[in-house]
Amino acid sequence: MTNGLSGPVAQIVDNYLARLRKGLKGFPTQDQEELVKEIHSHIYESFQNDPTTNEVERILNVLDKLGEPGVVISTRMPSAMVKLGKKKKLPFYILAGFLITIFGLPLGLGGLSLALGIIITVLALILTFYVGAFSLILGGWLSALVMAVRIFSPGFLHPWVNSYAIVSNPTLNSLIYILGSLLVAAMGLGFLWLGTRMMRGVRFVFRFLFEKIKNSRKRVRESA
Amino acid sequence: MYYIVLGYNMENKITQLRKGILELAILGCLNRGRHYGYSLVKTISGEKNIDLTEGTIYPILSRLAKEGLIQSEWMESSQGPPRKYYTLTLKGEEAYRLLEEEFQKLASIIANVQKAPKPDTQGIGLNVLSIKKEMNHD
Repeated sequence: MTNGLSGPVAQIVDNYLARLRKGLKGFPTQDQEELVKEIHSHIYESFQNDPTTNEVERILNVLDKLGEPGVVISTRMPSAMVKLGKKKKLPFYILAGFLITIFGLPLGLGGLSLALGIIITVLALILTFYVGAFSLILGGWLSALVMAVRIFSPGFLHPWVNSYAIVSNPTLNSLIYILGSLLVAAMGLGFLWLGTRMMRGVRFVFRFLFEKIKNSRKRVRESA
Repeated sequence: MYYIVLGYNMENKITQLRKGILELAILGCLNRGRHYGYSLVKTISGEKNIDLTEGTIYPILSRLAKEGLIQSEWMESSQGPPRKYYTLTLKGEEAYRLLEEEFQKLASIIANVQKAPKPDTQGIGLNVLSIKKEMNHD
C-alpha cells in the first residue's frame, strides 16, 4: 500500500496498519478495508499537522497519540468482550459461537427453559466450587493447627484425632502431617485463584447471552 | 473477592463515563457541521490538547453509524489519501438534542453538589452509636 509517506516513516506506518489488519481478522472484508483506509487517512493528517521536525520521531508521536491497534478495534466486538480484556479473545469466540448455535436459533419457550436450566446449573456449580475451595482452606489450616498442638501435647484431641504413624518419630510425623495440611490449604487457595479466572468466563457468557436475547427481542419488535 | 463478585473496578467506571461523554461530544461536533476522523479529534481535544487516545473515537463512530445516528461518505482530499466525512442523520440530530438536555441536567447536579454548604456538624460531639467500617477490597 502506498501510504503517501516515504522511507522509514512509510515502513512504520505499514507495520502499524499490518498489525491493525491482523486484529481485524474475522470481520467482514469490506469493514476491514474501510477501517484501515480511515486510520491511514488519520495517520496522514496527524503526521502533516504535528510540529515535530524529526520525521521518525514525529510518526512515532502520531501513532502513540492514536493508540494501539487494539484500541481502534475494541468496540467492534460485542461490548461484553471488551470489558473482559483483549488478550483472551479466541476461547471466547469459540464459546460464543457454540452458544449462538444453541441459543441463536429461535427455540421459543422451550429454549428459555433450557437456558434457565443451564443458568441454574452453572450457578450451582460455581457455588459448589467455592464451598469446596473454602472447605479445603479451612480444613487444611485446622488440621495443621491441631497437628502443631500435638507436637507439644501428644494427647491433644486423642480419641478423635488419631494420626497414622508414617515415621516412628512422633514429632516428625506431626510435621509431615502439618506439611500435608498446609498443602491442602494451598490447594484451596489455588482453587480460589482458578475461580477468579472461571468467573470471568462465566460473566462473559451471561452478558453475551443477555445481549443476544435483548438483540433478538429487538429484532422481533422491529419486524413486527 | 469483592472485585470478582461485583465485577467492576475503577478503570471500568472511568471507561464508562468517558465513553458516554465522548459519544455526546462527537454528536455535538457533528451537529455543527461535517467532520472527518482527525478533525473530530482535534475539535474535541481543543487547544489544551487534552490527553485523549485518538483511536478510541473510531469504535464510537462505527457504533453510532450502526445505530443510524450518523452517516459517512468518502471524499477526495486536496492532498493525501481520501477522507471519510461524517454527518448527523435526522435521528442523530434528535438524539443529540435529547442527550445534550440530559447532560445539562446532570452537569447542574454536580454543580449543585459542589456549591452546597457542608452538612451540619453539630452532632459531632454526641455519642457515636455504631460505625460501619468501610472496606476496600480492590
